[in-house]
Order: sequence, then C-alpha cells, then structure tokens
Amino acid sequence: MRPALLLMLAAALPGPAFAANQVALDNKVFVERVSTDADGKQRILLEEPKLVVPGDRLVFVLNYRNVGAQAADKFVVTNPLPAAVRFAGAGDTEPLVSVDGGKQWGRLDELSIATADGAHRAAQPADVTHIRWAFQKPIPAGATGKLMFRGIVK
Amino acid sequence: MMIAPVGGAKHRLLPSCSLIALLAALALPVQATAAGTRAGSTISNTATASFDSGGGPTTIDSNRVDLLVDELLDVTVDSSNPADVPTTPGATGQVLTFSVTNNGNGVEAFALSTVANAGGDDYDPAVTQIYLDNGDGLFDAGTDTLYTAGANDPTLDPDESIAVFVVTTTPGTVVDGNRGIVSLVAAARTGTGTPGTSFAGQGEGGGDAVVGATGADGEDAGAFVVSAATVALVKSASITNPLGTADPIPGATITYTIVATVTGSGSVSGLAVTDNIPADTSYVPGSITLGGSPLTDAADADAGDYNGARINVALGTVAGGQSRTISFQTMIH
Repeated sequence: MRPALLLMLAAALPGPAFAANQVALDNKVFVERVSTDADGKQRILLEEPKLVVPGDRLVFVLNYRNVGAQAADKFVVTNPLPAAVRFAGAGDTEPLVSVDGGKQWGRLDELSIATADGAHRAAQPADVTHIRWAFQKPIPAGATGKLMFRGIVK
Repeated sequence: MMIAPVGGAKHRLLPSCSLIALLAALALPVQATAAGTRAGSTISNTATASFDSGGGPTTIDSNRVDLLVDELLDVTVDSSNPADVPTTPGATGQVLTFSVTNNGNGVEAFALSTVANAGGDDYDPAVTQIYLDNGDGLFDAGTDTLYTAGANDPTLDPDESIAVFVVTTTPGTVVDGNRGIVSLVAAARTGTGTPGTSFAGQGEGGGDAVVGATGADGEDAGAFVVSAATVALVKSASITNPLGTADPIPGATITYTIVATVTGSGSVSGLAVTDNIPADTSYVPGSITLGGSPLTDAADADAGDYNGARINVALGTVAGGQSRTISFQTMIH
C-alpha cells in the first residue's frame, strides 16, 4: 500500500505541497474493551469503534512515517483533544500537555489551573486540552514510529 | 460508531483538513452533561505534525477520524416518600410519589408500570391510576396528566426527571399496622436488556442505542402503612340510695361511667359518646363529667349536653393509646 500511496500523493498534489508530505501521519481510534474469560482472566481488546458511548475508553494511535528522502528535523506532533474526551494518559510515550488551549506546555504535574478565587491548583488529566510530542532528534528518512494516548468519552 | 473509518490515502489528499475539522466542530457542538456526551454528537480527532526537512518549517494534518456517539439507555426510579405513607382501611386516592430520571445521553421515552403484588408486605394496594406531574411536584388530579401506557409515555431529555404519582385504593380488609408496597417501573421504549445489548440504528442522532448499567429499566418501591384506630366503650354503673346500700330502690341514684378507649397507631376524629336515659329513671341535672370535671347540660361551648332524652359528650379527635372517662347520674323513680 505504501508505494501506491506515494504515487498517488505525487500525482495528485502540486510541487510546493510535495514537501508537506515528506512525513505521513496516520490517525486511528480504537475502543478499549475489557472482557473476562471463563477462567476469570481479564483481557483488554482494542476494537474498531463501532459503538461509542459515554464512559468508553478510547485509544488514539498516531503512526508517523518519514516518506521523504531527507531527515525530518524539529518533528512535533500535536493532537488537540476532542472536547468530548477526557485525557486518560499516554502510556510511556511521555507527551507534553497543555491545559490552556495550547498556550503553555509541560508535563501534567508541572502545570496548574487558576481557580476562581485567584489561587492555583494542580492540573488534572481532565484539564488537558492538547497533547504534544516534540522529538529531540531528527526522524531519519524512511523511519516510522507510533504514538498513542488514551481518553475517556465524557 | 465510526462513520469515517479513514486511514488510507484519501483523506491525506484533502488540502485543508484542519479547516474541515474546524467547521465540523462548529457544526456539531458536543454537549457533556452528567449523563455524558449527547447521543448523536461527533467526536472528531485530527493531529498535526510539524517538521523541517531542509525546506523550512512544514505542517501537515493527519487524516480525521469521526466517531458518532451512540445512545446509552439508562433510567432510574426513586421513591420520593421518605417514610411509609399512612393510609386507612378502604381509603381511595392514596398517593405514592416517585421520580423517574433519564440517566442516558439521549432523548428517550419511558414506559411506566406498577407492581403491587411482589410480596414482602401485608396487602396489595389496588393501583387505580398513574399521573405525570405538571412540574410543581405536587399531586393534583385536575392539573397533572393521567398516564396511559403507550399513549403518553413521558419523554425525557438526558438528566431530566419527572415526578410520577401512583394512585391507589387501600382494601377495606386491612388492619392497623399492615404495610402495602407498590413499585414503579420505568423502561426505555427503545429497549431494555442486559447491559451492552444494542439496538442498531435506534439511537438518537442516527447511531445505535446501547443498554447501560441500569439495564435501561429502573424500579423503586414505596409503601403505605395502615394507620387505623378502634374505639372500645366500657360502661359501668354504681348505685347509692338513702338507705346507704347499693340496692336499686326508688329514689336511688345510679352513676354511670363510660370509658372510651382508643387503640391503634392512628386516631379517631369526631368521636362522640351518646347515651339514652333509661326508662323509669330521670337524669340528674348537671351531673355530666368528663375526666372528672363537670360539664353543663346546655348545648354550648363545653363538650357535654343533655337534651331531655340523652346525654352527649363530643370528644373530638382522640389518638390511639388514649382514653376518655365520662360519667352522669340518673335517679330511679
């Protein structure tokens, strides 16, 4: 599929946009379901989100691939959190988060929220508005990677 | 439900994905309530990547994934009567109040029914009507709406509640202290079942409807307790005569004592004790007493009177566990 994709991209888009597609970013969302088998063991399954209701745990997966010939430097992936989703962690991918619509960024435990009485409280997962991964090293040509985070449907 | 299961090349070809995502977000506001994100809302997710491959900073969008939020079917019923509601044998129009709440995330109609014979009590109240409250929380058959199953099932928004009045008749055969339980059941019209049961395409906004943790039906019980009282009258007589004996000879005075004893958890109202003066005797004027205190013979402010044929003492309301003692005298001719 990938070679065909490249071909289509090259054919469909004018020159300046070609550079824009040196990196491909693919977004998938799954629903995390916990099922208990006959032995009482719990299994976590990632399912296609055919049914989504409040309280469901969603897993957002972002696959990136440097399809260009050059390394991609200063690679930053940003995912604004949908309003109906409450952030529920990002595993070991350790993203930066924002709790103010993308103005300030940091680890969740470094951020705070101004309260009505002028004080500040520690930011909670429910405060997260944006998630961002900023790569220290360039992504070599042809390299791929996967980022993920979890959210709960409010 | 995934309505745009994208991930292939198609969406990457869209030149301005972020603009489309923005428009979509504006067009489909996502309401989050206690019941959760409204059914029919779309959760849209798009990520962006920025990088520099030597030609300056470049930003790209990922494909957009749209998730349609399905309808969760959940309802709870709560009794609004904090304690058993007092009733009396044979009483009609006896009301239990319930609250029905749509805990789901979509507009839903609920079928109402009652269960009065589930046991665990002493009698089965006879349910005569169910009324839907007009919003004031108080039962009034003149302004509340008579419920007919299937015809005017209450339709509730997410998080919305309605008060429901169950009107019953208490059987005449019950006795003091009996309890009668009535449960109100509310069931989502779309369907009920074990949690997770889904109804394809029947959710608000075009998605599926899924039975939530409540099973999409709710039930709670309210109870009546019979608060009845009974009156027992015990009459006794004692005789005194000029001879200083207790023989009923002409000229002897008979003192009648009537003790009215009320038993039960309720009370009796309008209780009056009337006694005709026996033949061959005449009433001794001014002899009526209540609790040892004299009452006048006139029909006036005090409780007693004599009308030439009988004495009458109006006791009014007397609670269970209390008694009243009345006396009067006659003279044998």
